[in-house]
Order: sequence, then structure tokens, then C-alpha cells
Amino acid sequence: MIAANDAVLGERAPSIREEPHDAASVAAILHSAAQADRAVVAFGGGTLQSLGNAPRAYDIALSLRRLDAVLSYDHRDLTIGVEAGATLAAVARTLGEFGQFIPFDAPHPARATIGGTLAAGWAGPRRTVYGRLRDLAIGSTVALTDGTLASAGGMVVKNVTGYDMSKLYIGSLGTLGIITRANFKALPRPPATRIAIAPLGDDARERALAAIAHLSIEPSAVLIVHGFFGATPRLHDEDVRMLVLFEGSAAVIERATRELRSALGAAGIAETLLLEGPAAERTLQSTIDAYVESLADRTLTYRSTGLASNAWARADALADIVHARKHTCDRIVDIRTGDAIVRVAGRSHAALLEDLAGLDAEVRRIVPNACVLAGDARLRAAIDAWGAVPSTLETMRAIKLRFDPTGTLAPGRYVGGL
Amino acid sequence: MAPTFGTRLTEALGPDLVRTAPEDLAAYAYDAYSEDRRPSAALIPRDVRDVAVAVRIAHECGEPIVPRGAGTGLCGGAVPSRGGLVVSFARMNRILELDTRNRRARVQPGLINLDLSKAVATHGVFYAPDPSSQKISTIGGNVGTNAGGAHCLSYGTTTNHILGLQYVDARGEVHRTSLDDAGYDLTGMLVGSEGTLGIVTEVDVRLMTLPEAVRVCVAAFGDVESASEAVSAIIGAGIVPTALEIMDKLIVDAVEAHYHAGYPRGAGAVLLVEIAGPLDDMDESELLLARIARQHGALSWRAARDAAERDLLWASRKGAAGAIGRIAPNYYIQDACVPRTKLPEVMTAIERIARDHALPVGNVFHAGDGNLHPLLIFDRRVKRQVEAVVSAGHDILATCIALGGTISGEHGIGSEKRETLSLVFGADDLAAMARMRDVFDPQRELNPDKIFPSGAVCGEVTTHPSAA
Repeated sequence: MIAANDAVLGERAPSIREEPHDAASVAAILHSAAQADRAVVAFGGGTLQSLGNAPRAYDIALSLRRLDAVLSYDHRDLTIGVEAGATLAAVARTLGEFGQFIPFDAPHPARATIGGTLAAGWAGPRRTVYGRLRDLAIGSTVALTDGTLASAGGMVVKNVTGYDMSKLYIGSLGTLGIITRANFKALPRPPATRIAIAPLGDDARERALAAIAHLSIEPSAVLIVHGFFGATPRLHDEDVRMLVLFEGSAAVIERATRELRSALGAAGIAETLLLEGPAAERTLQSTIDAYVESLADRTLTYRSTGLASNAWARADALADIVHARKHTCDRIVDIRTGDAIVRVAGRSHAALLEDLAGLDAEVRRIVPNACVLAGDARLRAAIDAWGAVPSTLETMRAIKLRFDPTGTLAPGRYVGGL
Repeated sequence: MAPTFGTRLTEALGPDLVRTAPEDLAAYAYDAYSEDRRPSAALIPRDVRDVAVAVRIAHECGEPIVPRGAGTGLCGGAVPSRGGLVVSFARMNRILELDTRNRRARVQPGLINLDLSKAVATHGVFYAPDPSSQKISTIGGNVGTNAGGAHCLSYGTTTNHILGLQYVDARGEVHRTSLDDAGYDLTGMLVGSEGTLGIVTEVDVRLMTLPEAVRVCVAAFGDVESASEAVSAIIGAGIVPTALEIMDKLIVDAVEAHYHAGYPRGAGAVLLVEIAGPLDDMDESELLLARIARQHGALSWRAARDAAERDLLWASRKGAAGAIGRIAPNYYIQDACVPRTKLPEVMTAIERIARDHALPVGNVFHAGDGNLHPLLIFDRRVKRQVEAVVSAGHDILATCIALGGTISGEHGIGSEKRETLSLVFGADDLAAMARMRDVFDPQRELNPDKIFPSGAVCGEVTTHPSAA
């Protein structure tokens, strides 16, 4: 069952918990909930339930955990079909047996589920190389509030047969339908993985970025981490370090490392720490886990996505706001994808809560698309989770009305109160 | 008497932008699949404002609207089956912004696919989706069909390279979408919707860094089945080259007669393999691929010596359908997709189906993706052959579905396969798709008679009273 605390969203606890065994039951639950005017929030592992606003109504917590089967996997096809409640780690293990993987790059893969990660629209740091999860998803089945199950796509890697409905449900945060199955392209695992970590002083920053931009081997990810000391190793006691992830053949990784070290050396950075294989993967994962890590009840984490070239500037702008208001922050700047993650920490819960409305107004003025990614539930409840409302909101509202006319699915949780 | 639709358009936008003469309109009555009636008017807009004005007038007059790129579509998607307004993007063909630092560009929909990659190559980047029609087909048309191409195998299809769109809705309102915005993925919905959800007027594309090294190799096989087995084995071994293409003997002979590219003539099938990436990996990757190919019966293996030979091999592969056009009275190119392990089986089945229908068949296809393109050769003047082609085409699609595949990998549904769609999807699946249509185009003014089956059971029928 869903643990009592896990099912609470904002200050609301559900009166009913459901853990159906199959997709047909999910559809039946949605249908009867719609008829009875009960609101439903779907749960996977609960790792990204901090996304979006607390729903206006919330009667039923619907766990997908028992739908955790691998439905279709022939490794020779490089495709896999799984039920929504399968954890990312379980899918990774299945694929790993045949040297394959899907770059989920989402926090806490042992608990996070396929359905939850897709519903959240999670897009991780390796997406410039491998694409987003939406790009690797080749098919889906969703349960809708009229009690039907609707499929789209299939088990082939090229498919233009009908609308690409999977894209609609991915990132819809369970507000249109509940994903019960997803099919993916799998990828062959790169033969070798290495992370190079270098300390980054303020003076070396621009030169280090230029060095990275001119490498002849493209890194799979480049993250600049300020703080988050538990998540990402340090060489000494520096505040800021750069993580550069290389994947490929041993020869390519060797060459990339030589180039990187020489370029960083020229930029005045003499030292780099190298992590290989599993150690590199663990560090990438712990850094991604940090995106949603809270410090007791006194932090709130924003995420802003945009052009890679101004990710650093957006993170700096947010940090300036935070510091001017006497709070502190940790940051991750993804200079390949353009993500900026800023975790604001108050001296205490009360101190941050008191200042939050003013802080949030400034954040949204300077970085309009900043969204709340994680943090203490009472802090999150004090502000709107979403940044700028997209200009297409009216179309989105019409979609919500068309797919969920009774407002059964996590009402009010999504952008613009959808 | 109220002014006609054409008159209203011309008054609003001028004769330079609006065509209403029957002889001008004949050019907009067809695509590469079929020909139907002429539209009432054609608009050749300069910018989004022209499109919005025209769509508003069409909406008021109850005239359907069909967007058109280069007309290379292979499923009737750009054909104005109910007349109305055709919007041709021939004049909106510019790159509006190029941001090489962030590897993206904003382009107009009429830009020719290959012109984009050519224009940005000096910056070390390229636009990856490369349908065989890329010398003439447009980015907007590619967005409409979610076009594929030979390099989808590692780079993905058009939808994986579109970051945002500007579109005009059925009432003439202009909207912009972006993957960076919060909210539902309207970008992903519009790509591949064949002009049935909105008229795309600007496209934000992702550009990729040109690989350091590219190698193109050609292997000869005794027959298509063994070449297909080699492809299945390569994918099964976890190797994803940038392209894995097969041509059978009929295609190779036609291609060689025209291009003299150096494909081995007389072989039952030819496998074209491209690998791209860091220079360090090229030799080892090629050795591994050649070994798998030989294990599955490759009779020869060689790598193109230089860029010129590589380009010629590719140009002739992409010109294969045209080369067939020179030797066959008529041909019908089918598009379907199967799981990669099913390739040998489906190729055997296609050969049997063609034989049963007494039709010559050529196969040229994106084998690495399991994306088939059997070309059935026939003579349009012989009624019996036309019937055989239709029947064989249906049998091929049914075979692909039975093997876990689908009826279109990259060409689209258009009018050609709308009735076949319900072989793949059930009523509930189609009803969900129809809900999207309801939202974007409740009156079915945008490219009507496309994608959705015409029957009462599915698609076009609203399944629930509108909540709006």
C-alpha cells in the first residue's frame, strides 16, 4: 500500500487508496471516480510528487505499483514494452542483462516508476546526446476517465500511424489520463563511461566553458555544481566543480580526457578527478538525485529550462535574488541542455516561509519560466508551482476539458490551474 | 450576390498572393500519390499574417484548408479532396534565425530540407532528418508527416528534432509552442498531424554537430533474406550504425543503370552501412560490422574511398525510386514498419505476395529501422494489374501488422491509408485521437478526409458531448 505520509499532497490526504493489478482495473477505477465526482491522483514511486500544485480535490490515491511487468522485450529488437509501475531500476536491470539501457536520468531510480517519470515529463542531462524520454517512447496505453484504454504508437522504432498521442500524456502529470504501459527504444550501452571532475573558481569559469565548447569529442553531459556537497564529490574544499561525462569506446574516452585536461590546464585548472564506470554512474545518479533533495523543511528548489548559452546567467540571476534576501542556495547548471536548478535554503522554515511570496515574485520576474521542482510541502503550498503561463493555455484548457470533462484527474495541479 | 470565396481572398490579399484561375489551380490538385479536384483558391503567403487572414476568410466561408510543401507526399496528404483553400509555402522558405551556439535554427516551413543542412554546414552542424526527397521536400511538409529518412536509425525522425512551432489554428489565430514551455506537449502533437490540427508557419529545429568521421560501406548478398538477417544480427548485437539500408537486385540494377555509383551488380541484395562518430572508432566498428555481415552470407564488403564516392552512393540510394520510374511504366511504393527481428520473415512474405499477384517487386528500405518500402511495378493501363497492386499492398500491410508492425513508418496516412488505420487501432484508440481533432478543429476544416477512417465507428465521430 501507499504509505500514509507518501499519499499526502499539500495538506490533503486521500480517503481511498487503490492498488489495481491490471490496466482494465485502472480504467474502471477512473470511470467510477468520474461518475462519483471523486478526484484521483496517480502514484508511482512518489519521487516527483513535488511537481505541480496541490490538487484542488483529492479523494483517491491510485498506485500503479502492482502494474510492474515487462510486457514485451526481445533484446534483438532493441525495444521494450513495460507496465507503468515498473521501477526505472528494474527496467534498467532487464535491459542491462543484454548490454542495453535507456537514459532515464531521473532521481531515485529504485523507487521512481516508468509511468511517474513519463507523467512528470522528466528530461535529464544526457538528452542532447540521446534525446528526451519523449523521444525514446515509441508507444503507450493510457486509461481515460470514460473507462476506456487508449493505445498509440507501437513496438516499432519508426511510426507515423495516427497521432503521436504518447507525447500528449508524457509531461501531463496525470491530468489527462493515467499511463498504464509504455514502449521504448532501447540503446546499446556505451562500452565505457568516465566522469572528470574539476574544481572551478570564479576566475576560471568562462575559460573552462570555452574549453568545453571546443572539445572534438562531445561530452554526454556537463554539469556545473555549486554546493550540493553530499551529492557530488569535491577534490578539495572548493564550492564549485564541473562534471564532464564522457561515454564511448576506451580509446575515445582516453582522447577526450587528454583534450579536456589540456584545455582545462590552459584555463588554469591543474587538477581533475577521474571516476570510471560504475563510480561515474553513481556520481551522475547522486547528482541527479540532488535535483529533488530537500534539506529538512527549509528548502525549495526551482528549475528553469531554456537556451544552454544562458543557463548560467539564469542560475546566477536566481542566486543573486536569493543572496540579496539573506538566504543561501545550491545550484546545478547544465550547460549542455540549458537546465538551471537552484535550491533555496532559508535559515529556518519560518524564515523562508515569511519571505517566500516576495522572493517568488522576484524569481518569476527575472526568470519567468522557473518552476518549482521540489521542497517542503508547506513552502510549495505558499506559491504557484508553475512559472509563466504558456500563451497556448486556452488550447491546453480545451484539451483538459475534452479528456477529463469531470475534472477527475488531479484537478488544479497543472499549469494555469488545469 | 455575396462575393465568392476566391474574390474575398483576392480582395483581402491581392492577386500576387492568391490564385483562382483554373489553370493555376491545377498545380495544387495532386501530390506524389494521387490527384483529385482543384482547390477553389491557392494562397502563396509571404508571412504568417497572410496565412492568418486567409484562414479567417476560409473559416468564415466554411472552406477547408490544406497546407502544402513541395507536394512530394506519398499518401495524398496534400491533396484538397474537398476543394477549398490550398496554402503553398513556396515563398516562405527562409532561415529566420541561426543560433549555432545553442545548435538551433528558426526556419520557415517552405525551406527545402537539404538547403538547411547546406546553409549551416560551415558552422559544423547539420539538420539530421533526411527523407529521400530532401532535395525538394520542405521542412514544413516534413513536420506534417513526421518524415523519416535513411539516418533515423541513430538520429531519430523529424519529431525528435523539432523544438517548437508557430502555427495558425482553424480560426486564423496565431500560436507559438516550445518544448521549454510548461504544459502539454503541443509541439509533439502537431508534428505528424498532417495539417489536421494547425497550419505550421515557423519551425524551431535542433541542429546536430557534424560527426568527425563518416564511413560508408557496401556489402553484397545472395538474396534479400540473408541481407535482412545480417541487419537483424547487427541490431541484435547492440550496434546502431547511422544507417543500414538494403536494396534488392531489381533496385540495384535500376540505380546502377542511371548513377553508376559502383554498387555490385548481379548481387541478390546490397546492404549500405554508414557509421559516423569519432575517428578512433571507425576501423574497429567496420571490422565488427563486416564480420557479422560475412557470418550472414555477405559475398563482398568494401568501404567508399572518399567523400565523393560516399556522396554518390547516397545520392543514388536516395534516387532509387526515381531510377525505377525510368524503367517501369508505373510503380506503387508501400511504406510499413516491423520489429527488426521480423525482417527476414517479412521479406519472404513480400516476395510470396508479389509472386501470388504476378507483380514484379523491388525492395529498397531502411532495414535498420525495420521500415519497408516494397515497390510494386505495374502498368496503369491494365485494369487487372491495378487491382493486383491494390490487393498486394493490402496483403503486405496485413502481414506487417500480424508480425507486430504498423502500416506507416514515415510516409503518413493521408487519404491512402485512412481506411487501413482501423486495422492497427481500435475504436477507443481512435476516439482518443479524435478528441485532439475536436479541440483543434471541431468543424473539420483543416485538411479534411485525412488520417481518420471515414466509417461511422471511428475517428471523425465525436464520442462524447463537448465539454466546452
